[in-house]
Amino acid sequence: MLFTPHRNCLTLLTALALVWGSAARSTMAAPAYDFFICANVNQNYVIGSRIDTTNGLFQHNPANDTWQHFGYNDRTITALAFDPRDHDTIYTTTLNGIFVSTDGGESWKMTNSWDMTEGRDVAVDPQLPDTVYFALPDGVAVSTDRGQTWERRENGLPDRGKFTQAISPDRVIADRVLAGCEKGVYLTENAGRFWRQVLPTETTVNDLEQSPHDPDHWLAVTDSHGAWRSRDGGQTWALITDLPNDRAIYNATYDPTTPGRQAIASWAHGVWTSEDGGDSWTQRSAGLPENPKAWRVGVDPNSGRLYVSVFEDTLYYSDDFGRSWEPDTLAGSSVNAFISIRRENR
Amino acid sequence: MKPFTYFIKLFGSAAVALIATQVSLQAQPSAQGPASREVVESVDERRSQYMARVREMQDHRVGLYRDNDFAGIDNSAMSILLMRGEQIEACNRRVLELMAEPGTGPFWMFPTTMVAYAGRDKLSDEARGAIREAWKTTRQLRGDTENHWVMYHAAMYLMAQMYPDEPGSEWWNGLSSSENLEEGRSWLLDWMDITTTIGQGEYNPTHYIGEYAIPLLMLAVWSEEPAMRQRSRMLLDWLFAELATVTLDGMLRGPNSRTDDTSVVERWYALANYFSWQLFGNIPAGEGFRGWGWGNYFSVLAEYYEVPEVIYRIAVDRKNDILQRDRARSRRIWRYAEEHMRPIYKTQYLRDEYAVGSHQGGVSDPIQSHVWDVTWSVDDPRGVHNTMFSLHPHSSGKVMQMFFCTYPEPMPHSVTFEGKPSYNSANKLLGCSPYEEVVQDLDTVIALYDIDPEANFPQVNGFFSKDLTDVTEHESGWIFARGGSTYLAYRPLADYHWQPHIRYPNGRDPTVTEETGGRILTSPHVKNGTILQAADGDEFADMAAFQTAILALPLSYELDPIPAVRFTSLRGKEIVAQYGETPYVDGRPINYRDWKLFEGPHLNSELGSRILTITHGPLGRVLDFNTLSSTDIVVE
Repeated sequence: MLFTPHRNCLTLLTALALVWGSAARSTMAAPAYDFFICANVNQNYVIGSRIDTTNGLFQHNPANDTWQHFGYNDRTITALAFDPRDHDTIYTTTLNGIFVSTDGGESWKMTNSWDMTEGRDVAVDPQLPDTVYFALPDGVAVSTDRGQTWERRENGLPDRGKFTQAISPDRVIADRVLAGCEKGVYLTENAGRFWRQVLPTETTVNDLEQSPHDPDHWLAVTDSHGAWRSRDGGQTWALITDLPNDRAIYNATYDPTTPGRQAIASWAHGVWTSEDGGDSWTQRSAGLPENPKAWRVGVDPNSGRLYVSVFEDTLYYSDDFGRSWEPDTLAGSSVNAFISIRRENR
Repeated sequence: MKPFTYFIKLFGSAAVALIATQVSLQAQPSAQGPASREVVESVDERRSQYMARVREMQDHRVGLYRDNDFAGIDNSAMSILLMRGEQIEACNRRVLELMAEPGTGPFWMFPTTMVAYAGRDKLSDEARGAIREAWKTTRQLRGDTENHWVMYHAAMYLMAQMYPDEPGSEWWNGLSSSENLEEGRSWLLDWMDITTTIGQGEYNPTHYIGEYAIPLLMLAVWSEEPAMRQRSRMLLDWLFAELATVTLDGMLRGPNSRTDDTSVVERWYALANYFSWQLFGNIPAGEGFRGWGWGNYFSVLAEYYEVPEVIYRIAVDRKNDILQRDRARSRRIWRYAEEHMRPIYKTQYLRDEYAVGSHQGGVSDPIQSHVWDVTWSVDDPRGVHNTMFSLHPHSSGKVMQMFFCTYPEPMPHSVTFEGKPSYNSANKLLGCSPYEEVVQDLDTVIALYDIDPEANFPQVNGFFSKDLTDVTEHESGWIFARGGSTYLAYRPLADYHWQPHIRYPNGRDPTVTEETGGRILTSPHVKNGTILQAADGDEFADMAAFQTAILALPLSYELDPIPAVRFTSLRGKEIVAQYGETPYVDGRPINYRDWKLFEGPHLNSELGSRILTITHGPLGRVLDFNTLSSTDIVVE
């Protein structure tokens, strides 16, 4: 069974993972997953100045419930992905493009050309891990040599409207990838050689998530065109009418530990959760700062703990899926992505 | 962001305070009075005066560190000293200090590259080693803006050239020296090609001109490739030829791809005017070279460049009006628009005492654009708000998203603390709007507004300077005024009220404001318009005669459902403008798509040609980027 990290979406869950919950947490000898964030902790940076704080990649240390930095110090990291076969191979997207490490983050190489800039997202095809997808503000690039070289694969994407904020390979079907673009969700079934639109949207798709419980279930959230769900692997989509659609939703997450649990983050509307597979949603911002500026949500697959990054405030966590919140560390942070990866694959 | 803001961020308020307290102590002849407007005929004398200005800037900068106390010397002063071969030990020490805490990004990269080159055969092995180590270990950001990329790629190119044949493990980005050199070269050639075919992206910037000119000068002097040196020198000519053409007594006026809250009203206060001072000598410097932050870096290498006579004369030797119609391009647009880069069509009309400039309106840069104005000449422009214009104060997260990889909410607020303090203010005077269309014919401007009622600030702001005289709100609806000797007639097309004009003394704190004594005409109507007519003081016996002439001009307009104006200008031209439609002058449509890259008495270039012909009287220079040739010609 292949486990693939992808942002806050996990790969297939075992039955063991399904029964993990807060009650079981205390009995677990060791976490089964490594849990990471990409965080910007510097609020007053301008280009050219010295970076005063530590930014970038952090791994959660469950022993003392802290975040440990690794890799390079950069406040522009937007996404992180691992090679599922070799966790020392790491991909990060940044303002400069994409940096690849093959030694666990000790050294890095910028592998994009000058005409690929401001990387938005990166993801590895779990079925073909030499193939890596790179989301760009002007399209999509694909590498078939573990991120060493890149080629544009944009056939079928609109000439204008291919700003790609999110890219998400299907974790069970090779070469099948969904891209969240300015003009909708696009699907390729041949590794980006041809894309077709499966969900038209009026504003940018900010996030795409595949359910860790059912690979046919997907979530897509947009700037101001609502949140959408698919039950057929992204072929068709339905608007989630319970969620507000007048303002941006920045990301979505599934709870890998509990089927049916989902959450979204919205700057204007805060955190919303569902515990019935997305049929109904409830705002869960009580206990967060007023006007919470919810930036990202993520779930620790070891514990089912729900996190929300409040923009340039700090992380907050909830052990009752949003009913109450406690501040975490990383004051001043904005977390751009939550990522987890199963330890047995390390 | 204004260079001075970067300076504060980079080097700290203590250094700024130190400099401020010492500024007045430095000898600075050019700050003593208005600049001479005499044309210097002698080549030798022009060169002598040019070099005197170079030395003045350099001496001032180095002089900030008095009594041989060079402990806190900055990169520009260090570069000057290294080029002169002075204070080498102090520079060695300072390099070690600065490299212990390197910065991140193009505003750190190019000054450090300058120190590296200026000191390559003078700094100690340890100091040079510290610079080299910083470029190995410290991650650098490309940035997200065209001037960032010029600085970044020029610096990477030059540093890779300095340390050739080294593997990726010796560079912060993991690329080898040859890969870094090639990446820098490739980007620079692509940018130069775009600029010479469809125009500049950050066209006529009041401050960012330095971020182009300084790296180009570094490449022109230090590149080991003759072709890169030649291209860079030619592009400096290109850049400064346009500066010469569109400045009024050395002052850069609108339109501007990017400016700032201060420069948009105090037109003298801009780094672009340092270049007029340095290259043409036709504008006074401020005390301590206030507002001209990066100029000291240009001065480091300025002795290796001088504008050709033809460019100098365009700037200072004006006997006729200039009507120039040129193209440029918007900032790159990532999304929510059909064009990757919008063509910008600039009209520039310059007379002896005033100038009127505009582009067609719409969004060019999301934060700092300035679309149109009339600016008048004054003997001493320092501290003078010598301009008049109107705008829709547009603020939009979605427009930010067009140009930046950002989300709707955070940026409109955050930029107000990053050197753009007015961005989210209804009273702002900076910025362009998707709801503004502008037509200019000679010294007449018609600006029409059809503002989305849901827009953040559904109003039009008109700037009325503290330095206007004879301001009269006439019962006809016209507002008359004088700016210097220039007559001004401003016609708001909807009701308005007055508000005080405020400035932001701290560019990083939008909550701190001061009134300037000027006023903002606030017209809170979404269907709106402004007509402006300027005239020279010599054209009328007095203000009454000017008013009579304006009131006699045929004018009809309507605002609802679509703003539209039919106006016969003081020059006898009937201008018909309707929002969303092609404008007409004397029955002929203005077909922007037919415009050349440059067309006018001094600058001419066919779109896509890569050739610019610069002329003034019998003098000419042809810059041909196809053949990399710069040819001086004599026009029969």
